[in-house]
Amino acid sequence: MTTAIDDARLDETFAALANPTRRAILARLAQGEASVNELAEPFAMTLPAISKHIKVLARAGLVIRSRRAQRRPCSLDPRGLQQVATWAEQCRSVWEARFEQMDQYLQQVQASGKDTRTR
Amino acid sequence: MSEHSLSRAAVKIERMFDAPVELVWQMWTDPEHLTAWYGPDGATVTVAKMDVRVGGTRLIAMDVQTPNGPMRMWLTGEYRDVVEHRRLVYTDARADEHGNVLTPDELGIPDHPTITEVAVEFEEHGNRTRMIMTHTGVPADSPGAAAWNMAFDKLGGHIAAGNKI
Repeated sequence: MTTAIDDARLDETFAALANPTRRAILARLAQGEASVNELAEPFAMTLPAISKHIKVLARAGLVIRSRRAQRRPCSLDPRGLQQVATWAEQCRSVWEARFEQMDQYLQQVQASGKDTRTR
Repeated sequence: MSEHSLSRAAVKIERMFDAPVELVWQMWTDPEHLTAWYGPDGATVTVAKMDVRVGGTRLIAMDVQTPNGPMRMWLTGEYRDVVEHRRLVYTDARADEHGNVLTPDELGIPDHPTITEVAVEFEEHGNRTRMIMTHTGVPADSPGAAAWNMAFDKLGGHIAAGNKI
């Protein structure tokens, strides 16, 4: 469950997710594995263009390209998304702590009359 | 991984504050107020630059205590959307003291994408304010950052069953 986070990898994962075509490919793969041909169908794109997107996704740890069979089906690789979720959990706890401090500070500021617009 | 943790892939926090919207807005836009709450416990925050307008930049120093002694971190970013008392969007990145964005390699820290985006919505409720903060790891210059959550929602079921792969 605990994956050692590879820093460069995480950055690549976010970059990979930043593209709408690649997110659409991931959404399609969430329904099950598919070949490059099948993935290319809904897009007005050439096979090489789709292959390039798949390479980006594979490098980012989001897609696995199977070696079995000639069609070499693609499937989702959960590792990349796990890393993203780990980042998000750390990020969340930092913000929760900040907003707790903001809440206390807001009370102080208003009690000290620093803010003149209060009730 | 549960679907619950997956839905956190973009961090969204909603909170009601017992303060008027003008003041909550200042918490983000007035250096004196920002430094009072922004640092993690024990950290001292210094605002070097804060130009709150679209295209304006920000440079913040954070002095933190680490097991290896005190360390100064720099954070930078650009304001992407500024609607007073309503909405604030900015990018956030680790930087050097000149505001140059650092890569994770240069940082030697594993847990952060290079450039992230923070969006804060403010809603006035009389003398109270609802604040909704969304922090996404999608580089802010990418189109369709909003589709981030959707993509994850669709993937949720699959990842929950990820062990079967």
